[in-house]
Amino acid sequence: MNSARWRKILAPLLISLVLFISACTPAQESRYSQVQKDTTQRGAPAAVAKKAEQGAKFNKIFPDGIRGYEVVAAQEKKGFAEYKVNKDGKNVAMLSISDTTSNPSATAKYQAATEKVAGYPSVDQGANATGILVNDRYQVKILSRDPSFTKEDRVQWLQKFDLKALAKMKPAIAPIATQKPVTQVTKLPPLPQRAPNPSLVPQPAG
Amino acid sequence: MSKSIFELVDELPTGGITVMAMKSLDTLIPGQWQNLTGFDNTIRAVTGETDEALIQQIGERAVALYNDKSQGYQRAYWLYDTVQSGSGLLGAAALANRIGQDTFLGFLKNVTPKPEKAQSIDLSVKLVTELVAFCQINGIPGDSIGDFLGALGDYSGESLMRMAALVCFDGLIPLGPEFAEKALGNVQSSNTSDLEGNQTYKSVKDLIPGDSSDDKLGFIAKSFDSTKGWMQNFVSSTGATQSGLMHNLKGFIDFTDDKADYVGALLDMNVKYYRHTGIQTLVRRLIERAVAEI
Repeated sequence: MNSARWRKILAPLLISLVLFISACTPAQESRYSQVQKDTTQRGAPAAVAKKAEQGAKFNKIFPDGIRGYEVVAAQEKKGFAEYKVNKDGKNVAMLSISDTTSNPSATAKYQAATEKVAGYPSVDQGANATGILVNDRYQVKILSRDPSFTKEDRVQWLQKFDLKALAKMKPAIAPIATQKPVTQVTKLPPLPQRAPNPSLVPQPAG
Repeated sequence: MSKSIFELVDELPTGGITVMAMKSLDTLIPGQWQNLTGFDNTIRAVTGETDEALIQQIGERAVALYNDKSQGYQRAYWLYDTVQSGSGLLGAAALANRIGQDTFLGFLKNVTPKPEKAQSIDLSVKLVTELVAFCQINGIPGDSIGDFLGALGDYSGESLMRMAALVCFDGLIPLGPEFAEKALGNVQSSNTSDLEGNQTYKSVKDLIPGDSSDDKLGFIAKSFDSTKGWMQNFVSSTGATQSGLMHNLKGFIDFTDDKADYVGALLDMNVKYYRHTGIQTLVRRLIERAVAEI
């Protein structure tokens, strides 16, 4: 009698224990779990700032009609525009302009730039990208998609943009105090803190 | 809560009927589609970068961009996912209709659409979904047929595979070699109640340009008419034929040759090519933007 009673109790007890243990075991965390949490929680900052320039305004800045290459529109979003460079039907590079108002941490790397292209601070990023920063705000970046498109090509193509027209566009704006940039929560270098006036406070390179 | 973009990409299957069906199209567009899966893998493949800190930075920006609803990426995913689910229901309806014909359960015919008309609406709604999703992802106004047509010529990789699967699995196999003319005729002769009775249309109608079902039907017909030439050219330039496609599919689906419409329905229910390649296109665009913005 007693053992039958125990068996009755034991089964639910074991089930509860299994459920308890499995509930407490954390699911495998992705390296992007934190940014996912930070960008989906209530009141999360938008990835693209309201004050960012419309991508359509950048279209006229891109080079066109380069012999032997085809320049094809790829994306045109608020604060961003991108074109493909194709050669013989193959994508060899991407040309982009982005407004760093949405992503201020992107400007940090230019503050320690040792090179200049067309008079603007220039940096290499990773193995395939070269960028310049115009007006402390607009990042013009070229990304190789094929080994035949070298760093020298990127530097040459950067100079084919209508940079003078880009420099005439709105200057950098100080981020709004309440606007918390998305990447702040990551393990990346700290964001550059902008002074309330348009001049930048020197920061370590990103 | 909806899934994160990295989960969607990490969970893409590397095998199964969807992947096998698309691989059967490789002979038409050799080497175009590699079934790239995994979020970090995709970052490496798209950017060619290997530095882990840089990959992390690109991935985080891509996640943030996807989560910003104003950017249209989530809407594009919703379209690719939803049009596929709605289409699966059509597959079930088409099968039920066949059962109705073959087993004299005549009443089933009254509750299921005629396969050819339903298939035509399905094909044209899927095409319009591609157009709208393309505009959402690339930032072009949603009714821009001209921009879409221009971009179609430059489609490659998973986007080209999606269009190849659309033409083959939703056009050529179920409707035969004259599928484009046939589908256009069927759509043009459809009325709004045909459209509203179509599950694929119902699933995505809110995002199809037009104020009324009448407007939307007009837009669908116009888009299909404009894209018809591209589809016909795809078939003639790749040499795709109904029998050739069926032959390739026989490698992994068991059927007899006179059951082409069953195969169409079977593919419709089981092959999630829109969702699969839609996620691949979406994440590629996100990564391309992220690496340029950081």
